Amino acid sequence: MELIEQKTEKCVIVSITGRLDTTNYSLLEKKLTDLIENHEDKILVECSKMDYVSSSGLRILLMALKKVTMAKGKFVLCNLQDNIREIFEISGFSNIFEIYPSQEEALKVF
Amino acid sequence: MDINRSTDMKYLGGLTDWGRKLNNTFNNLLYANHFQDNIVKGIGDEIMLYIPDEQLREKSSNNNHYALLEDIYAGLYLIKNHPDTDLFLNCKVAIHYCTEVYNITFFKGANDFYGSDIDLTARLMAKSVENRIVLSEKFYIKVKNDLINLHMTDKSGCLSRISEKFLENFKGVPTSTEYRVIDIQ
Repeated sequence: MELIEQKTEKCVIVSITGRLDTTNYSLLEKKLTDLIENHEDKILVECSKMDYVSSSGLRILLMALKKVTMAKGKFVLCNLQDNIREIFEISGFSNIFEIYPSQEEALKVF
Repeated sequence: MDINRSTDMKYLGGLTDWGRKLNNTFNNLLYANHFQDNIVKGIGDEIMLYIPDEQLREKSSNNNHYALLEDIYAGLYLIKNHPDTDLFLNCKVAIHYCTEVYNITFFKGANDFYGSDIDLTARLMAKSVENRIVLSEKFYIKVKNDLINLHMTDKSGCLSRISEKFLENFKGVPTSTEYRVIDIQ
């Protein structure tokens, strides 16, 4: 898995490429924790190149959402592949995350 | 995997509500972790999974015992900590590394597993409670070996929460059984 961080005027975009699994979820956990601790509370997670996720990865996203919400920030996801979207729906995540079909649309909410 | 206090909820909250949550809970645990093809049997609110080593190794991700444990922990974490408390039912889990297992069925087209390790897994489940994973020492040793191979510490991930070893003489099991527990955060 590869993580790319990009700062824009509106938010920080974290792009996930590859498979988010138990061997690497701690990298995403550290990246998001560092951002939140540095008061970056407007975060967009770009998922177009994320092709696998399991509960371990979802747990990190839920933890980040809770922290950002507590800081009155915004934590948004975009560009989920179909197989990932299905897992989000089964996990009840579609109802608690703001998810947008494109980065362009997601950036409008910040 | 077993739903906690399921029967109470079924009669107090109504069958429809119970069924919806039960369905959500098992789908979440199975599909989010790609275990849906490993169900051996389901009886009401309890399901048994059997994941042979060769099948685990063939998975493209999370293909070791540590990953299996971590995903199950995360699955229970998501259910316990989901902001919508009306979606899921809290679970308890028991995990054992089975070597004494044989596949036999008396029904055409069915699939079932028997053996002393299957019996022991059921005994371990009796030691579990809501939001807890009970794992046999035999499974824990497999997990620790994976951590060595992955160059990770033995306190990685959910193992930072693992208990000391317990010893129990289970009914029908000739020797004492060692096990540990992990409570969901």
